[in-house]
Amino acid sequence: MSLIIRDLHARVKDGADILNGINLEIPKGEVHAIMGPNGSGKSTLSKVLCGHPAYEITAGSVEMDGQNLLAMSVDERSRAGLFLAFQYPVEVPGVTNANFLRAALEARLPKGEEINVVDFYKQLRGRMKSLGMDTKFTSRAVNEGFSGGEKKRNDVLQMMMLDPTYAILDETDSGLDVDALRIVSDGVNAMRAPFRSFMVITHYKRLLDYIRPDVVHVLYKGRLVRTGGFELVDYIEEHGFDFVRNEEE
Amino acid sequence: MDFPDSGNDMKLAMEKVEAQTRLATAPTPDRLNENWRFGRPHKHAAALVELLADTAGTPSCGTVTIEDASGCTDKIDKEDADSELLMSTIGSDRILGLHLQRFGKGAALFIEGQLTEPITITYETDSLFTPTTLIIAAPGARARIIERHITRGEGCMVCARIVQAAEGAELSIELEETGSGTSRAMNIINISAVQAKVRHLSRHSNHAWAREETIAEILHSEGEADIRLYSANRLSGDQVLDQHTRQIHTAGRSASDLLYKNVVEDNATAIFAGNIYVEAGAHDTDAYQSNRNMLLSEKATIHSLPGLEILADRVRCSHGSASAPMDEEQLFYLLSRGIPLHEALQLVAEGFLTDAVDRFHSTADND
Repeated sequence: MSLIIRDLHARVKDGADILNGINLEIPKGEVHAIMGPNGSGKSTLSKVLCGHPAYEITAGSVEMDGQNLLAMSVDERSRAGLFLAFQYPVEVPGVTNANFLRAALEARLPKGEEINVVDFYKQLRGRMKSLGMDTKFTSRAVNEGFSGGEKKRNDVLQMMMLDPTYAILDETDSGLDVDALRIVSDGVNAMRAPFRSFMVITHYKRLLDYIRPDVVHVLYKGRLVRTGGFELVDYIEEHGFDFVRNEEE
Repeated sequence: MDFPDSGNDMKLAMEKVEAQTRLATAPTPDRLNENWRFGRPHKHAAALVELLADTAGTPSCGTVTIEDASGCTDKIDKEDADSELLMSTIGSDRILGLHLQRFGKGAALFIEGQLTEPITITYETDSLFTPTTLIIAAPGARARIIERHITRGEGCMVCARIVQAAEGAELSIELEETGSGTSRAMNIINISAVQAKVRHLSRHSNHAWAREETIAEILHSEGEADIRLYSANRLSGDQVLDQHTRQIHTAGRSASDLLYKNVVEDNATAIFAGNIYVEAGAHDTDAYQSNRNMLLSEKATIHSLPGLEILADRVRCSHGSASAPMDEEQLFYLLSRGIPLHEALQLVAEGFLTDAVDRFHSTADND
């Protein structure tokens, strides 16, 4: 069981091609890191997998545990086990964190069933505590007025509560200070399991020092041009992405 | 003719004569009246005037229920009609004049001291009902008032509300206007505050047509007066909500704020026309006005006309208006968490309105 991406091509609707033939398989239990220079298509890949309406898939397929991911609506993909921690989490005025998460959890239950409110709040507060979040955030509107770091933690909190099987972390380290980075990484590491996979998108080694990937890929101009182990991270940290540019140009 | 004794009585008597003449000779609202430019007056206002005129002299058909542990509430009596006579409208003198002819049902609240329990007034009708609410807060009085209007079937609720708050008073007033889908409603609201704080929230739902005219005036002495007006509404089908406001500052060092929000879908129409008026000499006025609308359909219509009229030269006044479809990124965020489309739309739309409701409650609580 795995997430399999085959020859995926995508572009901004009525715009430029961004993904130019991605091939990638992420088996259950593994953490794959996607690195690459700015504009290489990392965030586009994450949004395309989640079904963002701004993008159009022009070729290729994506299979998640044998299901055709691209045939599903955005919400169906989430309920099937896909999660995206956004690079820039959106503010949703007037919708409290608690109501938002309850709606997301109840959407996963059979019709007519409701979550146990006491258990829900107990779990929510416990998760928040583990991420160093003030429990007052439960009654605040989703991400509204949050700092960059608080938004990132809030996305990781949602991931913990929704318990996905495939989680994409899109530059979750940006906006986090050193302490927050460690706390968030600890939270992610605690979720590592044989039945769950992660795609970790980042520019920097510092996140991958905490969330140690099994496989590292380099994305350049919409294609995965290198795949390796952690030594690739060290090489990029030392030499930057120029070696990719030089070899691919 | 008996002449009143004092100069004040004389002035009042003359004002009453003027008001009677004004109301008696006012024309039926039509599109040529700037205040009725977008409210489909040919369809709704003309029908309302006809209905009120045809039934003049007949009893107002509706019930009044009051929950008031403090005992501040009395029945409206004939002398209270003078208050309504001296009300101002924003283009609806004809309707107010006809309303006054039917004067008789409603509630009069004379509030003293600080009330801990809210006063709830409920008006219900399935016919034509023309209640009046008179709220007078004595110096230092503090109260929360909830007024519910329930109109069934083809019914029509036409309500006049007068709010007067004296020095140091603090009033929090909520209007919940609920219709049947085919009903009509009209509210003419006059709020005046003298060194007092008044919060007013109106919520309209499910009327085929509703119009609301709110005149909020800060009077006389300087300092500490603060009026805040909020509204949050959701319109669908062919519903029309036509809201007009005036924030009048006749005294300086006072504040007013307005936030009206609507979510408009299907073929529905929302109209907002607001004006902040600052009299010459009302220096250091701090006034704001904002109208925000979310459109959920290409056929939904918004007419938003915020306005300023400032005759003083040292003020801080601003106004703004924004109407836009739902933010696609917000919607995508909810969908990406597995929330189905219909529910996600509801959450974002309700969240948009919650902002105005929360601000009403938070300012009321902070006071």
